[in-house]
Amino acid sequence: MGISPTFGIGGLAWRNLTRRPFRTSLTVSGVSVAVALLASLLAFGKGYERELSRELDAMGIQMMLVPLGCPYDAAARVLKGNALDVSLPASAFVKAKQDSAVQDAAPLLMTTLPRPAEGRTDLWVGVTSEIRPLKPWWKLTEGSHWFSSDTSDSVILGAEAAETELRRVGDSFYSPETGRKFKVCGVLERSGTADDSQFFVPLKTAQSMFHQPDRLTAIAIRLKDPALTGEASTRLQTIPGAQVVTMTEMMGTFLNLVGSVRTLIQSLAALAVLISALSILTTMLSTVLERTNEIGLFRAMGASRSQVFGLLALESAFLAILGSVFGVLLAGVAGSGVERVVRSFVSLAPQGRLLALTSDVILQCCGVGLLIGIGAGVYPAWRASRLSPIEALRWEN
Amino acid sequence: MKSVDNVVLRAESLTKIYRRGVEEVRALDGVTFSIEEGEFVSIVGQSGSGKTTLLNLIGCMDTPTSGTIEIDGHETSRLSDRQSTRLRSEKIGFVFQHFGLIPTLSVEENIMLPTLFARRAAKGKASELLEQVGLSHRHKHRPHELSGGEMQRVAIARALINSPALLLADEPTGNLDSTNGEAILRLFTDLNRAGLTIIVVTHNPALADAAHRQLNLQDGHLLLESQL
Ligand SMILES: Nc1ncnc2c1ncn2[C@@H]1O[C@H](COP(=O)(O)OP(=O)(O)OP(=O)(O)O)[C@@H](O)[C@H]1O
Ligand SMILES: [Mg+2]
Repeated sequence: MGISPTFGIGGLAWRNLTRRPFRTSLTVSGVSVAVALLASLLAFGKGYERELSRELDAMGIQMMLVPLGCPYDAAARVLKGNALDVSLPASAFVKAKQDSAVQDAAPLLMTTLPRPAEGRTDLWVGVTSEIRPLKPWWKLTEGSHWFSSDTSDSVILGAEAAETELRRVGDSFYSPETGRKFKVCGVLERSGTADDSQFFVPLKTAQSMFHQPDRLTAIAIRLKDPALTGEASTRLQTIPGAQVVTMTEMMGTFLNLVGSVRTLIQSLAALAVLISALSILTTMLSTVLERTNEIGLFRAMGASRSQVFGLLALESAFLAILGSVFGVLLAGVAGSGVERVVRSFVSLAPQGRLLALTSDVILQCCGVGLLIGIGAGVYPAWRASRLSPIEALRWEN
Repeated sequence: MKSVDNVVLRAESLTKIYRRGVEEVRALDGVTFSIEEGEFVSIVGQSGSGKTTLLNLIGCMDTPTSGTIEIDGHETSRLSDRQSTRLRSEKIGFVFQHFGLIPTLSVEENIMLPTLFARRAAKGKASELLEQVGLSHRHKHRPHELSGGEMQRVAIARALINSPALLLADEPTGNLDSTNGEAILRLFTDLNRAGLTIIVVTHNPALADAAHRQLNLQDGHLLLESQL
């Protein structure tokens, strides 16, 4: 004769879940959503930091000289390729370059160019060849060459910009907003950074095209030795109208920026966790209520209090485990959607994948899920364990 | 003929008082009797006379307000929860009017259920009991696929799985038609012939008469044979 291998206290608990499939799946979905939210949050935090440090590492830049104002905002905008409202005089660049600690310095003029017809905003960056050592990952595609002169009407397109504009090396390119005609002298290979979507022109060309003669929006700087950061920034800070932002400071700013969004998601996740715990609690309480006679019967046939407690605690643990598993799967599947939502909140998000659903994130989430199940299951299980065997008699069939 | 060694159950001045607010209900009042091993005893009496209350006290499901009970020589009226649980598991088999089968378990698993709580393997015993109650061919079925009579036979097999010293049944034929009731009666008679001690609360005259002896309750008092 065959006894199913699932027969045991655990099997009993498991099968009880199948009695009310609708209620069980509702409770499990509640836990799943909470766990998925939690998983996304944790994965986002991890992925964001990872991407950010990868991106900052890839930049050969250790500090930026930006116009006075909110330095972090300014530097963040420059880094992410947004334009600044105020600018630095060209003389600041000369002074920065003369500093003994500076290895490379590159002047930048960044301007946004709204394209209402296309529904987007382009970013034009005026650069000199001095930018090249600071962007070691830049690779020009086949046939490209650097600007022939520093005033030429040539443009180098980021990989994405080239795609959207449908231009290749050698094509001509007309910018109706500025009334200028360019020749595409180069296209950059895709780098996964903000550069991909930008338009690079010689600095002087940019200054005349946007009517900013001798103005700069930022100066990117690499030091001879990163250890010189402290003394160099003290000196550079004295340049009139300029202020220094180091990359280390930048990193903190980004993380803070995310902090507020994270708090939002965190409170949402906490709320979802609370709600799912409550839903397990009510599910288990009504289970105990419905099965009072049956539990009494178990007691009458020799089940101890701890066995009854274990049975009910297992049931709620199963609910939580199921919920956690589905939740993690959900986070994995819906991750890209969540990422899009997060990006819409955080305008200065790194380019790479933000969700890092690593094994410790999964473990943490399952841990929280299990904690929900155990926490919410204790009281109903305790109630059940206190039931008298006499309840077995009040059976209504 | 009566030897002290043969007494499996002894009740002494059993009293059970239920309190409902200020009102007291004397469900049992000074009940004294003893039952010998291998006896088949029925408890009869009008509704509310205290039959179920008495059976609960015997089965260690509840504690008396006063008086003592001895099962197999062990005083059981003042046990801790843990001890009475163990006693129920080892010495008592319960059969209820409502069968009390677990819908998610097969017939065989229902029968095995008490062994699970007792942490005891009794696989062979389960098939033996299924055979005895004539349901071997139904071992994989779920309770809802059985007739009332079959369900009660499964419940009886379940009550016997841990080899109890006492089988207690509260109106086991109460939910059955006369044909199925007779089948249960025959089963009880057979089990008793094989040596099982049975105490059955019943309104069913045939079942009550099949017993060796009747305990007659009236308003919580045990009537003497002379009073019948
Ligand atoms: N938990 C309780 N609380 C209060 N009073 C109770 C309780 N259980 C039983 N009683 C009362 O005790 C008396 C005996 O009840 P009991 O259930 O033992 O009767 P019974 O002989 O089994 O009746 P029936 O044949 O209807 O099953 C009744 O008056 C009943 O109302
Ligand atoms: Mg009764």
